[in-house]
Amino acid sequence: MNLKLIFNQESAMETVAQEEMPAESSRAAEQAHLLMSQVSIDFPTPKGSFRALDKIDLNIQRGEFVSLIGHSGCGKSTVLNIVAGLYQPTEGGVILDGREVTEPGPERAVVFQNHSLLPWLTAYENVALAVKQVFKGKKSKAEMREWIEHNLRLVHMDHAMHKRPDEISGGMKQRVGIARALAMEPTVMLMDEPFGALDALTRAHLQDSLMEIQRELKNTVIMITHDVDEAVLLSDRIVMMTNGPAATVGEVLDIDLPRPRDRLTMADDAQYNHLRHEVLKFLYEKQRKDET
Amino acid sequence: MSKHDKKQCPQNPNRRRFMQFSAAMGAALGSGIGAPAFAAEKIGYPEKQQLTFGFIKLTDMAPLAIAYEKGYFEDEGLFVTLKAQSNWKVLLDGVVSGSLDGAHMLAGQPLAATIGYGTKAHIVTPYSMDLNGNAITVSNEVWKQMKTLVPHENGRPVHPIDADAMAPVVEQYKKQGKAFRMGMVFPVSTHNYYLRYWLAAGNLNPGFYNPLKGDVSGQLDAQVLLSVTPPPQMPSTLQAGTIDGYCVGEPWNEQAVFQGIGVPVIADYEIWKNNPEKVFGMTAEFVHKYPNTAVRVVRALIRAGYWLDEDNGKNRKEAVKILSQPQYVGADAKVIAMSMTGTFEYEKGDIRKAPDFNIFFRDNATYPFYSDAIWFLTQMRRWGQIPKAQTDNWYFNVAKSVYRPDIYRKAAESLIADGMFKPSQFPDFKTETGFKPATDDFIDGITYDGHHPNAYLEQFEIGLKGNETV
Amino acid sequence: MKTLSLKWPSPSGSSASKPSPVSTLINRLMRGLGLPVLGIGAFLLIWSVAASHINTALGKFPGPVAVGQQIVNMYEQYQHAEAKRARFYQRQEKINAQRVAQDPSYKPRIFPYTGPPTFIDRIKTSLITVLSGFLLASLIAIPVGIVLGLSASMYAMANPIIQLFKPVSPLAWLPLVTLVIAAVYTHVNPLFPKAYVVSMITVMLCALWPTIVNTAIGVASIPQDLRNVSKVLRLGWFTYVRKIVLPSSLPMMFAGLRLSLSISWMVLIAAEMLAQNPGLGMFVWDEFQNGSSQSLSRIMVAVIVIGLIGYLLDRTMLLLQRLISWDKKAVLR
Repeated sequence: MNLKLIFNQESAMETVAQEEMPAESSRAAEQAHLLMSQVSIDFPTPKGSFRALDKIDLNIQRGEFVSLIGHSGCGKSTVLNIVAGLYQPTEGGVILDGREVTEPGPERAVVFQNHSLLPWLTAYENVALAVKQVFKGKKSKAEMREWIEHNLRLVHMDHAMHKRPDEISGGMKQRVGIARALAMEPTVMLMDEPFGALDALTRAHLQDSLMEIQRELKNTVIMITHDVDEAVLLSDRIVMMTNGPAATVGEVLDIDLPRPRDRLTMADDAQYNHLRHEVLKFLYEKQRKDET
Repeated sequence: MSKHDKKQCPQNPNRRRFMQFSAAMGAALGSGIGAPAFAAEKIGYPEKQQLTFGFIKLTDMAPLAIAYEKGYFEDEGLFVTLKAQSNWKVLLDGVVSGSLDGAHMLAGQPLAATIGYGTKAHIVTPYSMDLNGNAITVSNEVWKQMKTLVPHENGRPVHPIDADAMAPVVEQYKKQGKAFRMGMVFPVSTHNYYLRYWLAAGNLNPGFYNPLKGDVSGQLDAQVLLSVTPPPQMPSTLQAGTIDGYCVGEPWNEQAVFQGIGVPVIADYEIWKNNPEKVFGMTAEFVHKYPNTAVRVVRALIRAGYWLDEDNGKNRKEAVKILSQPQYVGADAKVIAMSMTGTFEYEKGDIRKAPDFNIFFRDNATYPFYSDAIWFLTQMRRWGQIPKAQTDNWYFNVAKSVYRPDIYRKAAESLIADGMFKPSQFPDFKTETGFKPATDDFIDGITYDGHHPNAYLEQFEIGLKGNETV
Repeated sequence: MKTLSLKWPSPSGSSASKPSPVSTLINRLMRGLGLPVLGIGAFLLIWSVAASHINTALGKFPGPVAVGQQIVNMYEQYQHAEAKRARFYQRQEKINAQRVAQDPSYKPRIFPYTGPPTFIDRIKTSLITVLSGFLLASLIAIPVGIVLGLSASMYAMANPIIQLFKPVSPLAWLPLVTLVIAAVYTHVNPLFPKAYVVSMITVMLCALWPTIVNTAIGVASIPQDLRNVSKVLRLGWFTYVRKIVLPSSLPMMFAGLRLSLSISWMVLIAAEMLAQNPGLGMFVWDEFQNGSSQSLSRIMVAVIVIGLIGYLLDRTMLLLQRLISWDKKAVLR
């Protein structure tokens, strides 16, 4: 890794910035909330190392909702896992609020694609596991209980919080997954195709819920999706990735649609449809992928 | 020496030396008991009340079963558990390790353990369990060939049958390149010595041991290969063809007849009339630590032995019923009854009177004679288990340290004092030296006198004597 | 045998022609009760026919009737033995009273019954031996399995050893265990009899492996997502093991435990025969040694009891597994 130093001292930051970083990104590092700088990753294969991501630069503001979109296999999840700290980049690095990301942590909560709830625990207990871990010594027992229930209420799961995952539907499971992530009070919430496995109707419901929560909490969110509508509807920015190998950021699209957004009105909105078209053009013209 | 030396000179120097020794020993015994024979000292309460005794599933464990079932142990304040052991080695290890407080043992076991042949441990015997009780059985196949060489009278073979009759069969096996194999129950078992005695008397060499060179198989120079098989497995091993014959206690000879897989050819009392058989063994440590317990155990066993022989064996039928219970011998009552009730069946249908097949009490069967111990030691020497020459005194000393007539005497005298026995039912303790008179009641007519072990060994043609080694 | 081949309705009842409720009931009865009874009947028939053609040195091989009679017989013997046991304690009180009268300083003790163990005692001994061996094996195997499951390199290190020892028969272990116990366990009045310790350790040695292997596999196959959850939450090692590893590998662990228990039971019978632990194995051995005309049928009774207990042990484990397992949908049989 290139960024060996921890950016908690201004002087240190400056030294590194002068030596290794372009002036532009050094300024960005100072101000940025979440900064990915020249992130590349190689995976070892039997045929030698394989470069999955190449020199990704991304600067995300506090409270911003960013979608990563791209063809399957382009490395979207890898980007997310690097931010989560589950993968270590081969080159470059990630800085969150002035600290380099070196390992996973609850300030970067992850909502996994297939919910990843512990099947032997109830919805309540699943959230409780996270809350007890994060707020150990900071909240009293009663406060914790209140906090767990609050988050389950937020995702409309208070009615089934004592059910185990195998007793509730896929959408409900994903709601619990979101509640668990929210309950960690993360700085950044990382969502890996959170609604990918759901039917269209359930997905719409969850998207609405998410927008509602987001309006209230204003979390920084990075979400992976391959659903164009979802990306345009939810995001402040859409990061479109090129196809692998050595995938990188292709284009970044600002979604300057006013909030709150309503899916029905949006359907007829010209700006919305234009943005939608831009994304489709990137995916199916510029980065056309031949499925053989 | 050979057979003409049988009649020993009474003024033999060995004899004189021994008389000094036995006089000293008598004094030692007497001092512990008090001079008048019938003013027996009162036996104190047992120091250890809860006891476990081991036995092997053989009819001659009967004194133990009877002492238990008739409440004789409890009368002594002893609560005894009887546990069947899978083989003689396990049983001996149990006694040595202390997991068994005592056991029904092969007469050779306490002697061998004390002199360190096999497991080394000082084991003593205050009680001899029975006389006779073994037989030699051969497979049907071997018997068919032997039978033609045995003289017949009234259509039945004339007994005793010598091993000479088996020699041609062994010869024929040899020509066919096969080994002639026989089973016995343990290297230091009476069975091993009686079987060897019988074979050697018929000019068949049963082979030698040489522990100095690590040979404990006892098959050096052997014409007949002997090996160990646990008693209850004898019939099935014979049936499987692993062995061609065996020497074992009852009911395992009669079982072979009953199951039609073999024919007993000779009972051991035809090899040596009223030979000593099993003994009751305990560690020297046990009898030292718990002297009252040891005496009380012997009291119970004496009563049991007496019960078994009482009134010409009127209780034998009941004994058979008790022994046939699964926890004791467990074989069918009719199989056990064959030898226990005064008859013995040889070839199927050839049932003969055998009042002496098992003697549990009469003829002083339960008294531990030094001369019996010495006979077993001579056989150990004869076949190389004792690899080097030993002086007569050595034989006497070993016998004295293993056989404990002093304990027996205390038990017997207290029983007399209690009015349960008459002095005439025991040896006369005032004159008793521990030696049976010399006898030539052996199949080969050789005289055994316990006073002269080395001279006795000189009489055998096959076997180590003097300074010989294998 | 037409019924066998024709009607075998699937559980969902999706047969084309709708069966009447009565015929469904008959079908269900047939399947639940009729067929097993038929199977047992056929077995008894084959058994009795075959038995009457087998002649052993101890007489004819016992058929179902002889074994049935033997069960009655053994029950009577059991009652007889119990009565004898009661009399033993009565006698002991009398003996103690007598002695106290003569010797006031004597503190009477009640000694345990000295008679032979009853068949029920033997069952108890066998169960205690097998369960303690199994428990000991589990206490060792589960932690070892977890450690091996968590670390691929540890697993690679241990795997050859496990594969080497897994197929070893109890008969090979037994002499070694016996000698080692004899050397190590040398109390004169040990708390546990040596035969028990030897049998128990032998059972333990054979019961270790399925639990180790299955636990390791269960732990190693924890979904990556759950591991990521633990990483994101920064769970400590113990919390991770307690909250995620243990529950997640529980089904596999239990599959291993069940295998271990059935192996334990099979091993026990052999171990008891050789170590002379007074359980069912020794009963079989003793009867074999006794060689009486009753021995074969008594052994057959023991065989049936051994099978029945083995079955019940397995069912109990299954019940436990169902009770503990979070995955209620998993089909357990």
